[in-house]
Amino acid sequence: MIRARGLSKRYPGGPVALDHVDLDVRAGEFVTLIGPSGAGKSTLLRCLNGLVAPTAGEVTVDGEPVVSASEETLRRVRARIGFVFQHFNLVKRLSVLDNVRVGSLSRVKTWPSLAARFPESETERARRALRRVGLAGLEDRRADTLSGGQQQRVGIARALVQEPRVLLADEPMSSLDPALSRSLMELLRHINAEDGLTVIASLHVLDLAVSYGERVVGLRAGRIVHDGAPATLSASVAEMIFGSASL
Amino acid sequence: MISSGRWAGGLAIAAALVWSLWSTDVSLRRLVEGIPFMLEFVRRMLPPDPSVLGQALRGAVQTLQIALLGTAVAAVLAVPLALAAARNTAPRWIFYATRTWLNVFRAIDTLVYALFFVAAVGLGPFPGVLAVIVYTTTVLAKLFSEAIEAMDPGPVEAVQAVGATRIQVLRWGVLPQLGPEFVSFTLYRFETNIRAAAVLGFVGGGGIGFYIQTYLRLLNYPAASTVLLVLIVMVMLVDFTSSRLRARLI
Repeated sequence: MIRARGLSKRYPGGPVALDHVDLDVRAGEFVTLIGPSGAGKSTLLRCLNGLVAPTAGEVTVDGEPVVSASEETLRRVRARIGFVFQHFNLVKRLSVLDNVRVGSLSRVKTWPSLAARFPESETERARRALRRVGLAGLEDRRADTLSGGQQQRVGIARALVQEPRVLLADEPMSSLDPALSRSLMELLRHINAEDGLTVIASLHVLDLAVSYGERVVGLRAGRIVHDGAPATLSASVAEMIFGSASL
Repeated sequence: MISSGRWAGGLAIAAALVWSLWSTDVSLRRLVEGIPFMLEFVRRMLPPDPSVLGQALRGAVQTLQIALLGTAVAAVLAVPLALAAARNTAPRWIFYATRTWLNVFRAIDTLVYALFFVAAVGLGPFPGVLAVIVYTTTVLAKLFSEAIEAMDPGPVEAVQAVGATRIQVLRWGVLPQLGPEFVSFTLYRFETNIRAAAVLGFVGGGGIGFYIQTYLRLLNYPAASTVLLVLIVMVMLVDFTSSRLRARLI
């Protein structure tokens, strides 16, 4: 499903964010990506849908190359990849429903979408997605009037409306408290199980990865230093990923 | 501890103030001696002459039109200029060039532009409109470009990430953030431009200012005071409506 080879990224004037990363993710897998902040988790996820162009290396999603793809190809690939952001990235002044309908933009005709005219089927799809994440009834609220946990659910609903094959989640819980984190993690798990969606979620804490991941990939200083089932995450492995200071 | 730099700064400001006081012939004695004249001036304006009310209203409407048209055209022109003057949307050399030219043109006030356009296209409201357009474009372009620079890139990235086209990204990621701000800035400039347009008539640029100046020159103070009252009411009405609208936008 997802295949990255020799992926490296160096930001101008900055340190190396990714250093020759190879990663294969099969369809339907639920992968958690762990590592301290600055390990390159965000950069890796953003390279997978072309939001960040790597300095070197290849990425293919569903056999389609992402790196240096044409704008058209890139849009087609992105349409199949839902992305959930650490800071939700909702359009604050828009309603909850409009934020979710943004997820259908790649499917609808351009001109009507500019006039905020969406087909009834898309509006219905957006309402269904909101019901699924537990936000039915909040369609007309302005996005920035919702709590953090609710906003992240809107972000997930937006991704679901894309009807994607892959869901990338960039530290979706780090702006939320632990109880909310667990319920959102369960939601992602459900989506993975019910829709057969491939999910890659980066996390900055270990316990969520251990209790919810089926495969844990550990990243440190831009390199993959661990890849295996949660059971293989011994204390020494965790120490290697996070460094002794953080344990 | 007060640093020596602050001491030097304070001294420089004090020196500048004394120097200005000296060179502008400020005199408390002359101010006091002028008080009876001011009272006489106000006394001669009362009561206002209602017979020029129609004229004053026509002038006020023309001032309103000058400000409205000038601000609207300026708002449209300011958008592309703002994109060229924002660090995050323009290449470096275009950014610096546009900023520099905007600063140059913004250094000159509407009234000075009016003098220039009156000389170029003749008397009347038309040169007034042109003057409002030029100055307001430079101000709005600066305000818009700062709003563009302060825009949250997160939602824009999110709309890109769903596979939207460029124009869809503009419509759903950029416009909801910038639209209300642009309209708010434009309304604010419209309020200011009413005041600016009210004095354009002094230099032949049309509107209510023409009547103020004419009646003062003719020493017809009751007529001048009617025109001034109309101006005050109009400015207050526009301020009130516009600020209510702005409060609703944000």
